Amino acid sequence: MTRFAWLQARTQSLAVGALLAALAITTAITGVQLAHLYHSLVVPCQTGCDLAQNDFLSHDAFLQDALVLLMRLAPGVIGIFWGAPLVTRELESGTFRLAWTQSVSRTRWVLTKLAVVGLTSVAVSGLLSLMVTWWFRAIDLVNLNQYGTFDMRDIAPIGYGAFAFAIGALLGAVIRRTLPAMAATLGAFVFARVAVTLWVRPNLLVPRHLSSSLGGAEQFGFMSRNGGTPELIAKGSAGPNSWTLSTHFVTSSGHVASASELKAFVHQYCPQIGPPPGGPPPGKSVVAPGIPEAFQNCRAAAGRTYHLVVTYIPAGRYWTLQWLELGVFLALAALALAGCFWWVTRRTN
Amino acid sequence: MNASVEAVGLGKRYGKRWALKDCTLTIPSGRVVGLVGPNGAGKTTLMHLAVGLLAPSAGEITVLGDRPGSDPAVLERLGFLAQDSPTYARLTVRQHLQMGEWLNPRWDAEFAAGRIDALGLDPSQRAGTLSGGQRAQLALTLAVAKRPELLVLDEPVASLDPLARREFLQTLMEVVAVQGVSVVLSSHLIADLERVCDYVVVLVTGRVVLTGDVDELLASHHRITGPRRDPASLPSSQQVIEASHAERQSSFVVRTSEPILDPVWTVTPLTLDDLVLAYMRRDRDAVASTTTGLAVAR
Repeated sequence: MTRFAWLQARTQSLAVGALLAALAITTAITGVQLAHLYHSLVVPCQTGCDLAQNDFLSHDAFLQDALVLLMRLAPGVIGIFWGAPLVTRELESGTFRLAWTQSVSRTRWVLTKLAVVGLTSVAVSGLLSLMVTWWFRAIDLVNLNQYGTFDMRDIAPIGYGAFAFAIGALLGAVIRRTLPAMAATLGAFVFARVAVTLWVRPNLLVPRHLSSSLGGAEQFGFMSRNGGTPELIAKGSAGPNSWTLSTHFVTSSGHVASASELKAFVHQYCPQIGPPPGGPPPGKSVVAPGIPEAFQNCRAAAGRTYHLVVTYIPAGRYWTLQWLELGVFLALAALALAGCFWWVTRRTN
Repeated sequence: MNASVEAVGLGKRYGKRWALKDCTLTIPSGRVVGLVGPNGAGKTTLMHLAVGLLAPSAGEITVLGDRPGSDPAVLERLGFLAQDSPTYARLTVRQHLQMGEWLNPRWDAEFAAGRIDALGLDPSQRAGTLSGGQRAQLALTLAVAKRPELLVLDEPVASLDPLARREFLQTLMEVVAVQGVSVVLSSHLIADLERVCDYVVVLVTGRVVLTGDVDELLASHHRITGPRRDPASLPSSQQVIEASHAERQSSFVVRTSEPILDPVWTVTPLTLDDLVLAYMRRDRDAVASTTTGLAVAR
């Protein structure tokens, strides 16, 4: 059965293999050039390196965008074109009646097909992520924002590929029509990715907290929403390559200031700071620019009252989080595969 | 008589609708059995139940002494050709034979290759580009090269043109002669089956209305025509299947094991087609009158 499953998947797999090979050649050549540039532009730089870094980062902009797009699309494409049609096409064209009356149990038929195409999906996702991660390594060293590219590097994309394939296979078996199954697969995959990114990933690890004075903040200023009373805002940093989950203003007694308290503070201590003349453009927020005296005084007052507490995931937990993300999606994939297996062997009667 | 397929109270329900209900039948082995019935009689459902593609909602079915299912030991003894002869459009003829070889332990590669050769099919042609007749021949080859003990063919010639029909049935007869395999084939047209079947089972709305050896059935059924008579006046040995009356004349289809001696009758032999249609009509009318209920009861 394995040979036959491979015979069915061969043409598409080889075509994708050829695309990956072409991509490997492209990334290898340009990747070596990028590494060379990194060593000639960024490494020798001692102070004030922004210019050199920006110069470096502007290279191969098209390829950077293309690879980002490819990493975003690849799992969805796997789910739509390999997962969804796997069972559905046989149901739709009636060939399941041919396949299921050969001397092979339905259990073996579905398990073999899932294994052959599923492992191909995982291999493609893994190789793609390997190439992209390798190609971006110098750029990532400059950006120092590993959590910003978390879902496009290393092992997490393997989980996305596996899950997209599995949810496609399940929805295909249940819906039994190829096009609706493809659409549902895309929807389910996008929903799962968004849900995990927003609600699961930030809670996978216990975050750490870091207190700092307002002066040490990455950004600190006043923001007025739609011309209302300005509010104190700040964005703290826990260092390069860490993931800042939130930043709060905290009083010396440990009380976390709410938005209205921050507005009241500005109203009381910084009456001169109002909305910019004529009001901000509708719907936009404006960070008060310049450093006039009133602004300085207000900053000083705020610094006496509040300090910042940054909640963050440290840089060192990156690989733990990568494994956890992979684990979450592999677990979801396993559930979907079990559902597909159950549906084909028990329900398709 | 050994049974290849035996069903007792067999039923299959989709939601609230019964595609096959309370079906009890025995299909003998070692014969070429025609399963005949109008569209919607449950032929396809019965065949899918027989090869394990469907699971029964009620009753029981055994095939070659086993409960059909997805057990390879049962599947390898069955050859099935589904309606419209499904094949993989993007795989070539050769790859289909390859599939057969990989998936069936009793596969007869020599027979399969010889068959494809004799049919003049190009092994490197994709199945999707074959004509309907060629596709049916390929699918039949796949089913037969499994070396099954029972070959189940669901409406194998329904979508074929007359020439392809003749060629397909020719192939089938050759195979049956060589391999001695039991065959069940279905059709809603008895004319398709007349040339190849030696046994018929007639199914109407899931119920068996007629079953028997073709020669015996033809020998025991007659059309008698004569002056107008009440069917009740016929001798009790003559069972009336169908009666039609003109102003001065009556015509009956009767079943009897005794010779018809009354000289008023003109006795004409029936074709299998006439015979089966008479049973189908009788049963369809019987079903119609039970469903309309008391309104028509007198």
